[in-house]
Amino acid sequence: MTRPAPYANPYVAGTGLGLVLLAAYALAGRGLGASGAFARTASGAVQALAPGQTAGHAWFGRYLDDGGIGQDWLVLEVLGLLCGAFLSAMLARRWRLGIERGPHVGSGARLAAACLGGIAMGVGAVFARGCTSGLALTGGALLSVGSWAFMLCAFAGAYACAPLVRGLWR
Amino acid sequence: MMPSDSPLVAFGIGIAFGVALERAGLAHAPTLAGQFYFTDFTVFKVMFSALVTAMLGAFWLSRLGVIELAAVHVPQTWLLPQVVGGLVFGLGFVVSGLCPGTGCAAAASGRLDGLSTVLGMFVGVLATGWAYPMLEPFLVRTAYGPLTLPQALGVPYGVVVCGVVVVALGAFRLVEWQERRT
Amino acid sequence: MSAPRALGYAALALGLAAPFAGSPYGSARGRIDVDELAGVVARGEDHVEAIDLAQRIRARQPGLRVIDLRTNEELDGYAIPGAERHAIDALSRLHPAPGDTLVLVSQAGAHAAQAWVLLRALGWRQVYFLRGGMDEWRDEVMRPELAADADEHARRAFEVVADLSRYFGGAPGIGPARGDGGSGAPPGGERKGAVRPRRYGC
Repeated sequence: MTRPAPYANPYVAGTGLGLVLLAAYALAGRGLGASGAFARTASGAVQALAPGQTAGHAWFGRYLDDGGIGQDWLVLEVLGLLCGAFLSAMLARRWRLGIERGPHVGSGARLAAACLGGIAMGVGAVFARGCTSGLALTGGALLSVGSWAFMLCAFAGAYACAPLVRGLWR
Repeated sequence: MMPSDSPLVAFGIGIAFGVALERAGLAHAPTLAGQFYFTDFTVFKVMFSALVTAMLGAFWLSRLGVIELAAVHVPQTWLLPQVVGGLVFGLGFVVSGLCPGTGCAAAASGRLDGLSTVLGMFVGVLATGWAYPMLEPFLVRTAYGPLTLPQALGVPYGVVVCGVVVVALGAFRLVEWQERRT
Repeated sequence: MSAPRALGYAALALGLAAPFAGSPYGSARGRIDVDELAGVVARGEDHVEAIDLAQRIRARQPGLRVIDLRTNEELDGYAIPGAERHAIDALSRLHPAPGDTLVLVSQAGAHAAQAWVLLRALGWRQVYFLRGGMDEWRDEVMRPELAADADEHARRAFEVVADLSRYFGGAPGIGPARGDGGSGAPPGGERKGAVRPRRYGC
């Protein structure tokens, strides 16, 4: 089996990511994002399964008149993200069906932790109206006050909790 | 350059985003988690290189008239909700080792923990969105609109840009020195 | 020199030069396509009426942003709920999000109409103005009047408006008789629930 290619230098890769973000500013008048696509998809799901719940709902109702999920900028961007990451992994022989985890945690516990972490991030993202891509990166580069506040607090929250979940990673 | 809403642009930007994240090694949860145990600074290096690049690019391209900074959507500030949201998000981040964007990248690379993170995110977003009417009084507080650091500090934009660059480069130096020691 | 090092030096140079470069915003240069804008105006797709705006606000239309352009002197303690104050000379700093719909409001509509042209020139499409400004809002939404001799049809139409008015804390009332059944149609265009035809601006 051929060995997976090593990752790119982080500074160079980061600069590349920054250029992608800059292209978004220039071509689309907006930056990157991820959690917004989750929000749009969740609204779409609720609308499809329980339409009575969405009309007039302060949050779900927001997405009713927007031309459908297929037109949502972030949804399209995240679909591209999935394709791009897939292609990049395949070409570098890094694609692998499996579970990344710390040395002393079982697969089941790892998957459960990933899910719980995801739930917390979902909560945080709705509160903050964004995530690391949409706020820390996009808003950070545009010097948005709230984005910097979010970024600093996200790092602070992660560093604060790290000792408590050491078993997951060390 | 007039911004457009083209779906092709959205999808294309997304592809580039996914490629950049994966090549940077950020689709790999142990790498991200390592940031919070001071063993792997990839997250910090990638994130701040990207931030500085885009910030300098936006500043200078706008100054030269190639793009119009005023036409770029600045994420709005809701200070208190973003502080609370940030802390909760950070907690989730270190527990799952992935964020929404990198979680998608990990899932697309075949990692089931990425998939699990993504599913958890759906649940979290759905539940919180459903509870939004009850949370709304808190979530709309301390709204400052598209407030920027130069506006808030009363300092010219270029000065803040310079400050961020100097701090970031200084932090990179520190990190390199720390890594050489271990 | 390695790539990261070169990038670092480049960033440092650009960063240190930034404070001496002045403002990145520069002057926002718009582009006016006269035929296009004139067509929009002629078709009436440039403005909204007060009642229509009130209904959209009550229905929580997604992305709707009401921009109040009145000066400090013009402010009189009342503003449309949810309106954002914005100085007209800082228009290019508005930063609308791609999904936003902007409705510009001024005292009588002139400034809002001018701001509409300017924002269209900058490329924003989802931009409208309240044609009669706060004067129209006050007359149509906050103090709508039913003509004393209005017929049944007009009364029923007025009930919709009165309900809307009360939602915003207004005071619907009865006005003087007008001898036309109270439901005269205004020249040009339909106005749901309108009782007394009034023209504003243009």
